[in-house]
Amino acid sequence: MMLPAALQFLQKTQNADGGWGAVPTRQSNTEATALALLALTSCPEAKATHLERGLQWLIDCQNPDGSWPMHRSPSHGSWATALATLALASFDGQRARAIKGARWLLAHRGRSLGWWASLAYQVVPQKMAVRVDPDLLGWSWTSDGFSWVEPTAYALIALKRLNADIGGAADRHIGEAERLLYDRMCSGGGWNHGNSNAYGVTIPPYPETTALALIALQDREAEAPNRASLRRLVAMLAEVESGLSLSWATLCFSLRGQDVDVWRQRLARCYTRSGFLGETRVIALALLALSERVTPFRLALR
Amino acid sequence: MRRREFLLGAVAAGPAIAMLGGGSPTSRWDRAAYRKPLASRVVVSRAESYESPLIERIVEGIRLCGVNVAGRSVLLKPNLVEFDPQGVINTNPAVVAAAIEAFKRLDARKVTVAEGPGHRRDNEHLLRASGLQSILDQQRTRYVDLNSDDVSARALPSRFTSLGRLYLPNTVLEADLVVSMPKLKTHHWAGVTLSMKNMFGVIPGSIYGWPKNVLHWAGIDESIVDINSVLAMPRFAIVDGIVGMEGNGPIQGTPRHAGVLIFGEDPVAVDATAARLMRIDPAKVKHLRIAGEFLGNIDREKIVQVGEPIESLAQDFQVISQFRHLKGAW
Repeated sequence: MMLPAALQFLQKTQNADGGWGAVPTRQSNTEATALALLALTSCPEAKATHLERGLQWLIDCQNPDGSWPMHRSPSHGSWATALATLALASFDGQRARAIKGARWLLAHRGRSLGWWASLAYQVVPQKMAVRVDPDLLGWSWTSDGFSWVEPTAYALIALKRLNADIGGAADRHIGEAERLLYDRMCSGGGWNHGNSNAYGVTIPPYPETTALALIALQDREAEAPNRASLRRLVAMLAEVESGLSLSWATLCFSLRGQDVDVWRQRLARCYTRSGFLGETRVIALALLALSERVTPFRLALR
Repeated sequence: MRRREFLLGAVAAGPAIAMLGGGSPTSRWDRAAYRKPLASRVVVSRAESYESPLIERIVEGIRLCGVNVAGRSVLLKPNLVEFDPQGVINTNPAVVAAAIEAFKRLDARKVTVAEGPGHRRDNEHLLRASGLQSILDQQRTRYVDLNSDDVSARALPSRFTSLGRLYLPNTVLEADLVVSMPKLKTHHWAGVTLSMKNMFGVIPGSIYGWPKNVLHWAGIDESIVDINSVLAMPRFAIVDGIVGMEGNGPIQGTPRHAGVLIFGEDPVAVDATAARLMRIDPAKVKHLRIAGEFLGNIDREKIVQVGEPIESLAQDFQVISQFRHLKGAW
């Protein structure tokens, strides 16, 4: 029941300009539009006209440097570039634009904290207010910002999907971003926004970011931290009933070949109860989680 | 995260940073940004528990401050960072519920609750787990996620950061009265987090990220001042100090019962009073000291205190070692 309702929601709430807003009636943004497009491509029942209009919105919004802004204004490149790149990569004939997005990601990683922070971390790591390796770079929410888990995970997925198309140019950055994710992992497994400890006190993980990081690291399945984080994710889900967390978790389990019927049933119940607050990105992710095709996020094992 | 936080925490910020950039103090804000009143009224109300008659207390607090809300659209901005079942991170939903009802009783045209959580993007979970969703359902009140709202650019009338301008949620810009509803808490980067720091939540995460790290790079105290200088007046503040948080706040601190609600139109004066209730000297809190120059009053003689005397309710809230200098004469 949920799948047709969610599909209808996305098709009904598409803005006149072809994009989708964070919730219905809001201005189109890149995150919502990219995820809605990925969701619609996973639904054979989706009408081609919605896909075409959404795709055109993304094409129109791409900056000359290959990036995407989150909204039309401000127009500078944003973290949502990774999602738009991933969405375009799923359309025949859009590979060149997706590659341009991937190249922008390679050139726009998070900023370093500098040599002083690096030295302090090497000499007196126990004295740091937060325990993160300042030398590792991933991706940030903003240009020239510090690296955080969610934008790093999106960029990792996009770059891993497109790395062969750019001749392996992302190899080094992918490796470093993977090390960053493991460095930021919470004690006992799992991830939060990207800080596992402040002033010696551990900060717990969140299910949604844990599932997303595990998706970005799915090709490293044999790694012990992944297994610990997977167990932590299951434990966290016992206490969380939300569309975002259940969608990312279902996708994560599905990509690992697990039976996800139980998770899909929980997801559908949750939708009945809350409608996921009408949030486009959550409804789109749920559609992807309910689909038998999770190809946009599938990465080849290494 | 920024270098200073990584290395030492906010203590390294020090008073010297406030004056970086040189020039006279007035060069740091436009004349039009000056909004310091001759005197500021702050109401301190005793409220022992969340079962207290909160609606009446809040109606009384608003009235004692002389605020007329009839016919106005009111936006309540609680502090909803993330959920910890054992913690007291967020503004208690009972206070939000009472505020919704209080503003309705005073004939507000519309009451909306809005927040842009700083760490989590899972709004459904946050609202449900924190208990706020059931309040919104019961009160049939709209909630707006400020992280994903439509935005408009606004030039900053003060220049304590180099941000120059900020994109702000239209829901905030269009409200007739924005009510900051923080929790009474200490903060491991800013010393205290009250009605001014609570406005970090209006900065849209879709543009500035989670946590709103751009503001950390720009300087937390400086960002607090610049954000508060760009937000239109009049505003109002209701501080939930029934149970506050001491120590390693704003997330991992320890609950501390203080049994108080604080009200006022001048957010600087409200926060200065709240700091005194935690036995913290507001003049030593960097963003309060700067804001006290042009945005509002922190001097005791400029604050018209109504209700309970501070001395009868003040408690010695613990702070992390980096902020021990905030203690002392208050």
